Amino acid sequence: MKKYLYLLFFPLISGCYDDHGPGGDIVFDGTGYRPIYVSEEKSKEVLTKPAEPLADPGKIYLLEPYIFVNEKGRGIHIIDNTDPKSPKNISFISIPGNYDMAAKGTWLYADNYKDLLTFDISDPTQVQLVKRTPNIIPSVGDYPPHVNVYFECADPAKGVVVGWEKVSMPDKPKCRR
Amino acid sequence: MKRFFTLYTLTIAATFLGCTKDGSGSVTPQAGVGGSMARFAITDDVLYIVSPQSLEVYDLANPAAPKKTASARLGIGIETIYPHGKNLFIGANDGMYIYDNQNPLQPVLLSHYRHIQSCDPVVVQGKYAYVTLRGGTSCRTGNPVSTLDVVDISDLKNPKIAFSQALTSPYGLGVYGNRLFVCDGDNGLKLFTLEDPRMPALVRTYADVPAYDVIVRNAGSLIVTGKKGLYQYGFSPDKKDLTELSVLPVQAN
Repeated sequence: MKKYLYLLFFPLISGCYDDHGPGGDIVFDGTGYRPIYVSEEKSKEVLTKPAEPLADPGKIYLLEPYIFVNEKGRGIHIIDNTDPKSPKNISFISIPGNYDMAAKGTWLYADNYKDLLTFDISDPTQVQLVKRTPNIIPSVGDYPPHVNVYFECADPAKGVVVGWEKVSMPDKPKCRR
Repeated sequence: MKRFFTLYTLTIAATFLGCTKDGSGSVTPQAGVGGSMARFAITDDVLYIVSPQSLEVYDLANPAAPKKTASARLGIGIETIYPHGKNLFIGANDGMYIYDNQNPLQPVLLSHYRHIQSCDPVVVQGKYAYVTLRGGTSCRTGNPVSTLDVVDISDLKNPKIAFSQALTSPYGLGVYGNRLFVCDGDNGLKLFTLEDPRMPALVRTYADVPAYDVIVRNAGSLIVTGKKGLYQYGFSPDKKDLTELSVLPVQAN
């Protein structure tokens, strides 16, 4: 039984179906999800800045003596933790759509929406972006983070999808999951 | 005498440092460690990234230019990756995947432990994996149940549930020796003892420290993030309290 339950979820994750496709049992209640776009250029704007206070901290990564603290969707704080009793916030890398990172030696790897960024952190107050590897994280942003919902199909021509908002919709949109 | 001993130790250490520096780049740079919420992980010269549906493997032989070497499509809602020993533990909405990464560039799937639909970071110590399962709307299907599960992984090909207890809204977790630290979201940081590693026993809840991700830094200290900031604590195997080392508080912009 468990096995079959599992199968049941499969059609849902593949996302976008035509209006008359399978899964037509989702009730349209006059609301749906609309993509929030930013321009391609804006979505790739990466900057090294002086330290900024923590605002909405996410995941953490430790490469002694530094702690990297993700600022959800906005970038990475670098904390000098030489003295754990007195950690020093030393710089901020502004990266739109960033939630994750890992580091080794003098290199830091981080996500920027679907892209992978490689930074040289030899000087953590002067971090250098050395490489962008595009489209390594598929499917981020392609669908709203919910199931059994209708949504306006994402249009790449309008920019990069950075989020989804639930809005009233007069007509049932073409996409659902 | 003690002072002399310290001096002696330092001298020895300095000698060693000198040696390694002269040893023409034979020192491999160390990779860092992530929390259990991580989607990125580095072991040896390999960067692992879990996308919502796959495991992506990147060779860091040239660290300035990661090179994709493999990609494995997994199930649904892949969330976290936790390297431990020669294995990768991947937390997904549909369970936990265990990979053998003896060959780090070509990990091999050993097993897929299925559980109810939820979000679930994993940490491992000895023959047990500790998994938090967070229910709720953002983790599919409106499953309201949240638990801390202990999975017996003595046979990596056949993981078995060993113990389960209710939690409120768990996120990351960390383990060291006989201590287990669990971030229970807005309900705070929870400290468990592992006198019996199969059955974590709650000893303290730090309710005023909303907690999201945690890293056990070494045998005596840990780092926690949450809504209110970055917290560091000291802990010890024989004390049931954490000692606050520092707080970098969140500031409203």
